[in-house]
Amino acid sequence: MKAYWRLTWAQLLLFARNKNTVIWSLFLPIFMMLALGTLMGDSGGTQFSLHVVVADEDQSAVSRELVKTFREAEGLKVSAADRDSGLKQVKSGDADLLVQLKKGLGERLASSGEKGSPNRVALYLDQTDPTVSEVGSTVVRQVIDRINKERLDYQPPVTVQEVNVQSRPLGYIDFLVPGILSLMIMTNNLNAVAATIASWRERGILRRMQGTPLSSSTFIAGQITARVMLNGLQALAVLLVAYFVYDVHVYGSWWLLLFFILLGTLTFMSMGFIIASLAKTPESAAPIAGLISFPMIFVGGIFFPVRDLPGLLQPLVKAIPIGYLTDSLRGVMNEGASLVQLWVPASVLGAWLIVSFTVAAWTFRWDVK
Amino acid sequence: MIRVQHLVKVYDGVKVVDRVSFEVEEGEVFGLLGPNGAGKTTTMEMIEGLREPDEGRVTIDGLDGSRQRSAVKETIGVQLQSTALFDHLTVEEIILLYGSFYRRMRPVKELLRSFDLEGKAKTLVKHLSGGQRQRLAIAIAVVHDPRVIFLDEPTTGLDPKARRSLWEIVLRLRDEGRTVFLSTHYMEEAEQLCDRVAIMDAGKVIALDSPAGLIRQLATDSVVEFLPEKDSTVGFRDLDGVKEMKWSEDGTAVVLLTDDLQATLRGLISRADEQGVALSGLRTRTATLEDVFLKRTGKRLTEG
Repeated sequence: MKAYWRLTWAQLLLFARNKNTVIWSLFLPIFMMLALGTLMGDSGGTQFSLHVVVADEDQSAVSRELVKTFREAEGLKVSAADRDSGLKQVKSGDADLLVQLKKGLGERLASSGEKGSPNRVALYLDQTDPTVSEVGSTVVRQVIDRINKERLDYQPPVTVQEVNVQSRPLGYIDFLVPGILSLMIMTNNLNAVAATIASWRERGILRRMQGTPLSSSTFIAGQITARVMLNGLQALAVLLVAYFVYDVHVYGSWWLLLFFILLGTLTFMSMGFIIASLAKTPESAAPIAGLISFPMIFVGGIFFPVRDLPGLLQPLVKAIPIGYLTDSLRGVMNEGASLVQLWVPASVLGAWLIVSFTVAAWTFRWDVK
Repeated sequence: MIRVQHLVKVYDGVKVVDRVSFEVEEGEVFGLLGPNGAGKTTTMEMIEGLREPDEGRVTIDGLDGSRQRSAVKETIGVQLQSTALFDHLTVEEIILLYGSFYRRMRPVKELLRSFDLEGKAKTLVKHLSGGQRQRLAIAIAVVHDPRVIFLDEPTTGLDPKARRSLWEIVLRLRDEGRTVFLSTHYMEEAEQLCDRVAIMDAGKVIALDSPAGLIRQLATDSVVEFLPEKDSTVGFRDLDGVKEMKWSEDGTAVVLLTDDLQATLRGLISRADEQGVALSGLRTRTATLEDVFLKRTGKRLTEG
């Protein structure tokens, strides 16, 4: 017991005295959160803004009214230009779309579609950006549609009423914060444990401990305790910054959140121990860990939802632990989910923990050879 | 105190330790002397329980080395070759950490005092000098007051002053009644410190006795060395008193082992005069463990 506390304390001292640990594991996640949070807009939800260039060639009362409607539409930034310069702006990416109001538009509308050709509005967009072109064309179509309906005095027999099912005001940042926690738990444990343990083994630090009555389980228990403390502290720091800067709340139980942090820490630590044991040299341990964790960042639902991934990757996503950790943290924080509701991710993570811990204990070596 | 029987360790088909047997008495300083790669460290680590022997068995203080490993570890203290410690812990923290691994622990102050580290208690390991680091390595080897201490090449890489201070520590450990098992490739160190020495080469113990006894076994007590002229064909083997003639490793010096220094020198000078051979670099000295090693293996202990 004495050895266990001493080892835990020694590891905490080593964390505190290592500048890299402090910078990488504490400031990096907070910085990442602030950077992405600012970039993607704060708690206000989808802050989507399109730059629309309108080339009004008709210059009639109707067309001017149309331009005014565009200007009033939410999420559109409208500027006027002629067709050619507007097209240039769209091609260069300075503007997202160009709406050309051709000559004869006013006449056509005034006559309620009796005179002239219907094809009086052209929309130019860059389809390499599917989100922008989709949203852009929808917005423009809606505006035109509304004008059409007004002119025809059309009353739709059926309308659709949109109801937001999220009772809480959640934005991208609420999605992002649990993702960052999950990312932190993975890199702090999988990558850091693999590199640290491999280097201690190479330098003979572990062999020196093997020369004492210290058991490997006491050694590993000390490592786990210190790392759980570190991760808990880091999570708390990230959550506090998220709360004060972005008003991100933990809607669920803090104990349940801590439980998942613990579960994730143990799972990824065990994987780190396995890599440290299997790597031939400490120099190769870090790249192997990176090779495993780097793809997990993308398929783990950390920065964007897993459902946005191609279907081909879905079986992989369903197999690896990171997505389940992210989902659980998100469930607890955003939806206030209970352990019963999260039994699937909890049991998958638990299974991963049991398997990787068993392999880790089985492959653990004090010595290089 | 330590009983080693027929230890064998094979790596990649090579017997790095080949049926090594010996016994270490309680309270003595026992030395394992041999060149790098002779199998000293592997032998020590098998005795310490850090490596599993392929054959043979080890008994320490009546405890079986492989079956009563944790009891053995409470009895022994180890200092490994180039001990690596956590760079970012202080001397005091390291002592407390390693002390916590044992049932019994000596007071930190006492250890700091006896290893001359009192002023360094709050110093990080990475800021220690080589000598201080090595003293700390030995301090944590005796943190639990063990009866047997293993020191693997404790003075390798230290400057002469630090080496002397380590020698004093080894002798003090013996005076405290502990058994000290050390390995070294410095014959001077073995001669100065060890009550008995086992000479190891290519995985085998080739001689075992007190340093004086090993030298006595040479049946010669003096050595004459000189550099003869190039291509000299004059023989020196039949001079009075010469027991053994060898060429030095680099092939330039003649080494004569003699039990009658005066007769050998007289004969050598007159032989050289007769033949008109100039003797340069002529010197005499008493035989050392180095000569024992040279005679037994035909090799020098330390290169250069």
